[in-house]
Amino acid sequence: MALPRRNSGSRFTLAILLLSSITLISLDARGYEPLTNLRKAATAVVQPFRNLASTIFDPIGDAWESLSKGDNLEKENALLRAQLGDLLEYRTTTEGAVEELAALRTQLGLENLGGQETVVAEVTAQSVSNFDPYILEIGKGTQNGIREGMAVISVGGLIGRIEDPGLRSARVRLITDPNVSIGVLVVGTNQVGILTGNGIGQPLRVPDGIPVSADVETGSILVTSGSERSPYPGGFAVGTILEVLVDEINLEKELVVAPTGQFENLEFVTVVLYEPLNTQNGLGN
Amino acid sequence: MLIFRFIKALFVITLVLILQLELFSSIRFFGVMPELMLGLAVASGWHGGPSNGALTGFVCGFSVDLYLATPLGLSALSYALIAYLIGIVAEIVAEDVERIVRLIISIASVALGLVLFVLFGELIAEPNLYNKNFGKILVVGALYTGLFVPLLHYMMSWVFHEGSHAGNQRPINRSQLT
Repeated sequence: MALPRRNSGSRFTLAILLLSSITLISLDARGYEPLTNLRKAATAVVQPFRNLASTIFDPIGDAWESLSKGDNLEKENALLRAQLGDLLEYRTTTEGAVEELAALRTQLGLENLGGQETVVAEVTAQSVSNFDPYILEIGKGTQNGIREGMAVISVGGLIGRIEDPGLRSARVRLITDPNVSIGVLVVGTNQVGILTGNGIGQPLRVPDGIPVSADVETGSILVTSGSERSPYPGGFAVGTILEVLVDEINLEKELVVAPTGQFENLEFVTVVLYEPLNTQNGLGN
Repeated sequence: MLIFRFIKALFVITLVLILQLELFSSIRFFGVMPELMLGLAVASGWHGGPSNGALTGFVCGFSVDLYLATPLGLSALSYALIAYLIGIVAEIVAEDVERIVRLIISIASVALGLVLFVLFGELIAEPNLYNKNFGKILVVGALYTGLFVPLLHYMMSWVFHEGSHAGNQRPINRSQLT
C-alpha cells in the first residue's frame, strides 16, 4: 500500500501547536497573571450556558445517581446511624471535657463558627476530570469575598479549601486528596500532627508526629490546629480517630481518622471568610 | 467557506464541552466519565486530516483545560498530538473503511490520548494523574467514550465535509454532456 506524502505544512502546524502548548504549560505553572485572568474570563463567558445546561441536565444526573447508588445509599445510611450511635454513646461516657463539648458544638451548629464571617454557596458541579476526583465547584467567587485558600465546611466539619476562585465560581480542593495536608490538634490533649488525605472513601491519616507516649485514644476528635502558618482557622472539626497504630521503630503513633464532614450528595457548603495573617500580609500563599 | 467551517466547529466544540461538563460528569460508569472532548479531537483528526485535526484537537484540549485543575495546555498538547496521529492513520487506511474498524481505531486512539495526557502530566510532576485507578479509567473511559464515537464522527463529518461537496459542483451546459 502506497503511503500518502504529507506536506511540510501539517508538520509545521503540529510543531507550532506543540510549542504553544508547552509555552502555556510553563507560563501557567509559574502563575502568569494574564493567563489566569484569561481562564477566569473564559469560564465566566461560558457560565450562563453551563447554568442553563445544568437546569436541564441535573434531573437526569440525579436520576442516574439514584439508580446507580441506591444500594450504596442504604449502606451509607446504616453506617451513619451506627456512627451516630457510637458518637452519642461516646459523648455520654466521656462527658466532662470542655474542649470536646466545644468541638461537638462546632460539629452540630454551623452558624456559630468562632465569630468568623461565612458565605453559603451552592455546589454546582462535581469534579469534571477522571483523574482528579478531589474537586467540587461552587457557585460563588471573589465577588462574594471568597479568596484562595479559605476553609470550606459542610455539616459535620471541614471538607476542603478554596482553589482558583473566579468572579462567580470557585473550586474546592477536598481534604481527601492525598496531596493535601492539614495541621490538626487532638481535642483534650496538646498533641498536634499533620493530617493527610488518602483518597475518596478512604479514612484520613496522621502518619507521624504523635509520640507513642501521647494519651490519644480511639474516638477522640481532631480539630484544625489554627497554628500561625496554617491556612485554616483553629477549632474546626476534621475527623474522629478510628484506629491508633503504634510504630515501635520510630516510637510514634499513626492515626486512622474518619472525616466528620459530609462529602457525598452535597448541595450546599459554607465558606469561612478567614484569611490567615501571613496571607493578609502577603507573606504566605 | 472557512468562516462557516470555523463557526460550525466552534458550535460543536461548545456543545460537546457543555455536555461533558454538565451531563456526563454525573453519569459515570464505575466512577468514570466519558472523555467526549478527546473523542471529538480524534474524530476531527479523522475527518479533517493531520493539520486541521491537530488545530481542532488543540482547541478541544484548551477548552477542557479551562475547567481542570491541571496546567493550561496539558490537554491541548495531548489532544493536538493524538488528532495529528489519527489524521495520518486516516490518510493511510482507505476512506471507505468499515465503520467497525473506524470505531476500534477511535477507541484505541482515545486510550492512547489518555496515556499521553497522564504521561505528559507525570513529566511535569503534576499530582493525582497516575494513580491506582489509572487502568480502570483507561479501559472504562475509552469504552464509554466509544459509545459516543459514531455521533462525534457524524458531527465532525458535518464540520469538515458537508458543504465542500456543494462547493465542488460546477454548472455544465447540455453540449458538454455529449
